Amino acid sequence: MNLKKSLIIAFVISAIAIIAWELFWRSQDYSPTIDDNKALWSVQRDRVTDLTPNNVILMGSSRTLFDIQLDNWENETGKRPIQLANVGSSPLPIFHDIVENTNYTGTAIVGVAPGLFFSTTFPKAEPWAWPQSRVDHYKARTYAQRINHQLSLPLQQSLALMSAGEQELDDNIDLKALLKRITFGNRIPEGMPPFYEFGEITSLDRNLQMMEKTVKDTAFANTIIEVWKFFGRVSPPPDKEATMAFFLKDVEKFKARGGNLILIRCPSSGGVRAGENQAFPRKDYWDQLVLQANVKAYHFEDYEQLKNLKCPEWSHLSVNDARFFTNELAKIMISDNAITNLKTN
Amino acid sequence: MLFNSLSFVVFLVIVLVLYYSKLFNWTNKKRMLLLASYVFYGLWNPPLVILLWISTVVDWTAGKRLALEDNPQKRKLWLLLSMFVNLGFLAFFKYGDFLLENFVSVVNSMGVDFQAMPMDIILPMGISFYTFQTMSYTIDMYNRKIEPAKTFLDFALYVTFFPQLVAGPIVRAKDLITQFYEEKRATYNQFVWGIFLLTIGVFQKIVLADTLLSGVADDVFGSSKLLHGVDAWTGTLAFSGQIFFDFAGYSTCAIGIALMLGIILPDNFRYPYASLGFSDLWGRWHISLSTWLRDYLYIPLGGNRYGITRMYVALMLTMLLGGLWHGAAWTFMVWGGLHGTYLILEKLQKRYVPFKITKWNGIFLAFITFSCVNITWVFFRAREFDTAWNMIKSMFYMQPGGEKILDSFNIVKVCAVIGILFMCHWIMRNTSMREVSLKTTPWVLGVFWAILFFLIVIAQGSGEQFIYFQF
Repeated sequence: MNLKKSLIIAFVISAIAIIAWELFWRSQDYSPTIDDNKALWSVQRDRVTDLTPNNVILMGSSRTLFDIQLDNWENETGKRPIQLANVGSSPLPIFHDIVENTNYTGTAIVGVAPGLFFSTTFPKAEPWAWPQSRVDHYKARTYAQRINHQLSLPLQQSLALMSAGEQELDDNIDLKALLKRITFGNRIPEGMPPFYEFGEITSLDRNLQMMEKTVKDTAFANTIIEVWKFFGRVSPPPDKEATMAFFLKDVEKFKARGGNLILIRCPSSGGVRAGENQAFPRKDYWDQLVLQANVKAYHFEDYEQLKNLKCPEWSHLSVNDARFFTNELAKIMISDNAITNLKTN
Repeated sequence: MLFNSLSFVVFLVIVLVLYYSKLFNWTNKKRMLLLASYVFYGLWNPPLVILLWISTVVDWTAGKRLALEDNPQKRKLWLLLSMFVNLGFLAFFKYGDFLLENFVSVVNSMGVDFQAMPMDIILPMGISFYTFQTMSYTIDMYNRKIEPAKTFLDFALYVTFFPQLVAGPIVRAKDLITQFYEEKRATYNQFVWGIFLLTIGVFQKIVLADTLLSGVADDVFGSSKLLHGVDAWTGTLAFSGQIFFDFAGYSTCAIGIALMLGIILPDNFRYPYASLGFSDLWGRWHISLSTWLRDYLYIPLGGNRYGITRMYVALMLTMLLGGLWHGAAWTFMVWGGLHGTYLILEKLQKRYVPFKITKWNGIFLAFITFSCVNITWVFFRAREFDTAWNMIKSMFYMQPGGEKILDSFNIVKVCAVIGILFMCHWIMRNTSMREVSLKTTPWVLGVFWAILFFLIVIAQGSGEQFIYFQF
């Protein structure tokens, strides 16, 4: 048996195949991206331990991720915030974790996307289970997992083929995702429309920006809109009572120890906004929440410069609009003394 | 640390460089391997390395005393000390919550209103493997079957050797400790074959178990609905393949990594899904555990020395405890009980309705065995009896009105993978990968190897744990 020959053949063919695979996907407009996974989130969560009262933590759903640009916030306020928001999820488990498991007394900005914020407190429901799994991972992560994450980052930043994401989106190019695209027959009813990646992480501290394709390619933006429509059809009714009670309990505890909580309502437009106005009327949800939480709160509709911002896929801002929104929001909060301007010049 | 992770790649490269460098003599190389093994384990949960140390010190001391002591009473006490410590660890860490829950249920059923606080005990990774391995040393010492380990270092390395520490194979002292006595270096062919085995093992885990099968098994067993028969069978077949590829993949990696160091570990799987009956199955599936249970449980319980009835009782008890070894739940006991029943029925068949196995009826018999094994996997995988019963009902009554949750592609995919798995096991049942590779041209082997590696790269495993770590 000539194993040496086999090893050399295997090495050469593997190298050629992997290079060809990488080049092919790059020719299809794929580029290296960082996966916004639980390991990346946990690194940010870990930073909370050492924060001072001057710091700002961002929590919420994808709108908080897309719409608050960390560089712009830092430029306006002099302090870079910690981004702990998560796509498709309720901020309640994350805020609960910060309140219960840290001594943090700085500013906590919680984004309120009504469909997710008021959705549920049921542990197995996706909007709750997803962020909670990140909290659980942070608490239980092993040293080996931390090393794996650090080792994987250079690969993610260099190779387009490293696309396996925790969200398992339909345009991932790992083997599982490629096989998922093969369908035939109609044995089960059609489920969710294909959901593609429309944002990208641009820094290791989880700054997320909308991809240019989402802004320029209307057909692509429409595929995302179809997904929002699907969620609008299948989402269970909100559980306002339970979510408010759960959140307000944490709010009291956070305020009692000197924490500064701020609520924000980021823009939505088109059908999503119409749906939200119908299912979550402002006076019954947002206004009630702000009244009972008794904290500073900022709704985009209340500001002339923000109320007409348009979201390309009805729910999140383009990079340019997100930068504008971040700058304006920070200015409004500073002028309102909701946060401190730490800029030295 | 997981074999299918980037940190392990770095770890292995460092270990191999140090092992084959001229920096150390053999004793220091063994010290380096021991330290590396503690790092390998400690990167998961450092404080739990203390359990390994306790097991090591207790069994080393017990083994040493058993070698010197002639007084039968004192010898028994040293053996009991070893058993008490190792089984005590298992009882507390693995079965603590289970015992407490059942105690509460029994007390409540007697009308006493008692609620216990859950202990939430963390399960140390691989505790069932290393406690069984180290116990085999003291039991063999007690029975004067082996010589004591020459040095504490050799013994500590035997307990902790990282390739097989957390999920086996469970290696006997006589097969491993003696290999540490003289310097070991892999030959060139052994080293490359070790890399090939590592590739095969990782491929089984990442591509076959995690990418092709785990999703379907999770969907089916995670469903609370009464499923259509096709979905129930597909989910069960998917789990059947997943657990084989997951566990055999780990064993293959372990054997390959050890071989790269020049250490030979025994086979743990020999194409079990083409077994001709259940005695054959247990000679092919998790061989190191089944032989452990045979030597240290079935034979001490009487084996076949005291008549047929006693033999059946011993067999059933062995399989029930074998089931419980896998997990602290009644579903695992049922799994073990079903295998015990199969073995007893097979022995009855051989006694009263013997027939000759030919190449014509062989594959049919293998298929029947495989189908029966699949039924047991339902109880192994289901977390609750309700789920298991729903699955069994769907599988046997086909439930045409049951819920369909799998699309056609997933059904075809699982059936294709399991069909190929079954045929491969049938073709390979009387040979080995090594023998086949000897007959294969370097070009074909090289291309096959490249395909496996390429698929591993594009599958991009997310570093999921191996199923058997929880046992």
